[in-house]
Amino acid sequence: MEEDRLWKFRRPEWLNSAWTRNAGVYASGALFSIAFYVMLDSAVWSKSSRNGSDTHVTFVDWLPLIFSSLGMLIINSVEKTRLSGDSFSYSGNGVAWKARVVLFLGFAALAGGMAGGVTVFVLKFVVRDVAMPALGMGIENIIANALVGLSSVVLWVSQNMEDEYSYNLSL
Amino acid sequence: MPNAGLKTIIALSFVLAIGFLLVILSCALWKVYYPLIVVATYVIAPLPNWICSRCANPDDFVESSGGAIIDLGRFCTGFLVVMGIALPVVLAHSDLIRVEAMIMSIAGGLLIYGTIISFGMFFQEDQEF
Repeated sequence: MEEDRLWKFRRPEWLNSAWTRNAGVYASGALFSIAFYVMLDSAVWSKSSRNGSDTHVTFVDWLPLIFSSLGMLIINSVEKTRLSGDSFSYSGNGVAWKARVVLFLGFAALAGGMAGGVTVFVLKFVVRDVAMPALGMGIENIIANALVGLSSVVLWVSQNMEDEYSYNLSL
Repeated sequence: MPNAGLKTIIALSFVLAIGFLLVILSCALWKVYYPLIVVATYVIAPLPNWICSRCANPDDFVESSGGAIIDLGRFCTGFLVVMGIALPVVLAHSDLIRVEAMIMSIAGGLLIYGTIISFGMFFQEDQEF
């Protein structure tokens, strides 16, 4: 375990505790919830009496969030241990290769959702010179997609912690 | 855990009643009954954790799929807890409820959830061996 370390800095001890791992999973759910409600807030606000402009949130605005969430679902459904199987004996019939393809699709969906959020913001709000209170709907779209990305990063890191944790325990 | 006696039950029920009072007051004072959803959110928030912890054994390191279901339960619980805070904020931002109602329903919801969690912590002792 000590010889095949790649990085110069050792990671701190508290990262390997089960408590940190559980907190990471909870935090990931909380971040995803914030992302969903930021997007829902823009949709509700668009139909409320405070929205004086004629710009409204439609299904197009929801599409980036749907793609981001799909990407997050795909990324975190892949079994992480299959990914690092370099040797033939472990990865068997190209399971690592398949896992990498599926993971690539997931990351593409996540990045596509983020890019879609920026696209909606530019095409629907910036180009049409929408003023500030209604411009917030576009900004909330970008924030929601960024939070989904952050949430999946937190979930990924805390699920990788699990492997280290169980490894330390089994030794 | 300290021994949970009659005083704990009485104190927890008082806190629960205060939480419900705050949420219902935030609805009834302005005659807008949206914040009642917060109560339902916090009541179902611990449910995914309880269900998923029954489905898998966390101490089982041989079966690697056991941890995933527990993680799913934790993810859903985190989602629902933040939903209880985010929902009044969304409603207040769109002028559906007043800001005062938002503050009261968030405080009441947190009291209700804290009661549920501490009740589970105090009386978990019976199941352990």
